[in-house]
Amino acid sequence: MKRNSLIDNAWQWLDRKTDRSSRQLARRTSRRSFIARLGMAVAGMSVLPLLPVMRAFAAENLKETGDPRSCDYWRYCALDGTLCSCCGGTQSSCPPGAEPSPISWIGTCRNPVDDKDYLISYNDCCGQDTCGRCGCHNTERERPVYYPSKAGAVLWCFGTESRTYHCTVGVVLGEASDAS
Amino acid sequence: MRVMILVLLCLSFTANAQVAPETVGQEKLAAPGPGWFLVQSWTAATLFDSETGEMQGTVTVSPLTPAIEPNFPRKEIYAAESFYSRGVRGERSDVLTIFDAENLRAIDEVALPPKTTPLWFRNYIGLLDDERHVAVFNMTPAQSISIVDVVDREFAGEISTPGCALILPVAKRSFIMICGDGSLQLIRLDENGIEAKRTRSKSFFAVEKDAVFDQVARTADGWLLLSHEGLVFHVTTKGDDIQLSKPWSILTDKDKEETWRPGGLQIMGYHRESGVLYVLMHKGGIDTHYEPGEEVWLIDMARQKRIGRMAFEVPTKSIQVTQESAPKLLALTNEANVEVYDGQLLRHLRTIKSAGASPQFLQTLGRHD
Repeated sequence: MKRNSLIDNAWQWLDRKTDRSSRQLARRTSRRSFIARLGMAVAGMSVLPLLPVMRAFAAENLKETGDPRSCDYWRYCALDGTLCSCCGGTQSSCPPGAEPSPISWIGTCRNPVDDKDYLISYNDCCGQDTCGRCGCHNTERERPVYYPSKAGAVLWCFGTESRTYHCTVGVVLGEASDAS
Repeated sequence: MRVMILVLLCLSFTANAQVAPETVGQEKLAAPGPGWFLVQSWTAATLFDSETGEMQGTVTVSPLTPAIEPNFPRKEIYAAESFYSRGVRGERSDVLTIFDAENLRAIDEVALPPKTTPLWFRNYIGLLDDERHVAVFNMTPAQSISIVDVVDREFAGEISTPGCALILPVAKRSFIMICGDGSLQLIRLDENGIEAKRTRSKSFFAVEKDAVFDQVARTADGWLLLSHEGLVFHVTTKGDDIQLSKPWSILTDKDKEETWRPGGLQIMGYHRESGVLYVLMHKGGIDTHYEPGEEVWLIDMARQKRIGRMAFEVPTKSIQVTQESAPKLLALTNEANVEVYDGQLLRHLRTIKSAGASPQFLQTLGRHD
C-alpha cells in the first residue's frame, strides 16, 4: 500500500472516530476540533468569565443522568475539545500523567435531572499527546478570540508544565445564580 | 555473496548503459503568480497555483503555528514557532523564523518571549508597512504583542495589550486590534519598533449580543469586519484616529426570516478591484458561527447589495478570493479539498484534492491578505 493511501486511510479512520460522538457534530467545525482529529498539541473552549478553578461546590449530592462519554452529556454544553472520560480519565479528572490546567473557561449548563442551571468549569488536561477520541464541539455562547473568557478558539493549557493538549474535563462548580 | 552483488551491479549497469544516469535535482520556488495561495495546516503552509491547481511548495512550521507572513519583496517568509526541547516536554523556546522564499528553508531566527499563541489565525502575525517590523500576538492568557525587526534580525520589544487581540496592519507603522469591550485599538510604533502612540475607538458593538468575527478582510485602505448577525463595518485610519463606517446588514428581512447567517472557519474574502465581498453563509440559529457554509454570497460593497449567490455541493468551512482582475473563489471543504471557481461567473474550474493535513484557512500572497 502506498504511503498516500496509508495516510488517507488513517485520516478517514480518525474522521470516523471523531465524528461518531454525535450526528449533530458531524458537520460542525472549530479550530480545536481539528486538534482532536489529529492528536498533538492543545485544547478546551467556551462560555463565561475567565476564572481560576475553584472546587468550592460539593457535588456529592448532585444527581445526574446521561453518558459522560457522550458529547450530549449535560455538563458538556459549552465544551470544545476531546472528552477525558474517553481517554482514561473521567468527566472531572484528567487521565494518568495529564496535568489539569489551573485556568479554565466557564459554562452554564442545565441539569436535566433537577432542571437547574450549574456553573461548569472546563479545564484542559495537558502534557500528554492529544487524545483523538470523543471529539466534542459545542459552541453555546461561544465568542471570538478577542474575548478569551468565552472563546472556543483558545488553547487553555496555561500555567501547566507543558502546553500540549490532551483532553478536557467538565467540573461542576455550583448552582448558577440568576445573575450569571 | 560479495561476488554475486558485484555481478548483479555489473548486469545492472550493462542493462542501463544506453540511458544517461539522472541526478536528483532541487527546485526553487518561482515568483508567485497572482493566482497563488496557501493552505495553512497542522504543521505546514502549502502553496498552490489556483490557475493550474498544482502544488508549488511547502513551508514547514511548528505544530499549531497560527499563520505565516510572506514578504516576497525581501524574498522572505516569517512564522512564529514554538518548540519544546523534548517534543511535548522540556524547555520551551519560541522564535520568529525567517524562511528563504526561494528554497523554503529556515535561514535565521529571532528569539521571542515564550508567549506565542497556538491555533490558526491569519491575524496573529502581521508585517507592518515599513516592511521592517513584524508583530506577533501573545497570550498567556495575558494578551500582548512581540515586535521583531526582521531587517536587523532583532527582538524590538513587547507591548502589553490587555483585552485586545489580532493584528490588522494599517498605514504609518501601525496596527489595529479588536477588543473584548467592543472597541478597536490602534498602536503606532516608532522607527525602533517601540510603541509611540495608542488610540482607542468608542465601543461600537456588543460582544455578548452581536460580536464581530475574529476573521477580517483587507480593503485598499483598511479592514472589513462582519458581525455574527451580518453587520458590516469598514475600519480605516486617519493619522492616529480610527474611523468607522456606518454599519449596514448584508441580510434582508427575508434572509433573516430564512435564518441565513455568516459562518465557518474563514467566513469572507474581499476582491479589492471590484469591491465585491464574498461571504460564507448557512441557515441556522444563534451560536452557529462555526457551522460550515451552504452558500457563498457576493456583496457589492459600494451598492451595499447582494449581487450573486451560489450553493456549494458539499459543506465548506473556509473561503478566500484571489486579487486577479478576474478573481477566483477558493473554497475549502470539510473533505480537505479546495474547490476553485471563477469568481465572477461562479463556474467550477477545478478541484485541488488533499490540500493539506487538517487544513484550516486559505491565504493569498499579497501584503496582509
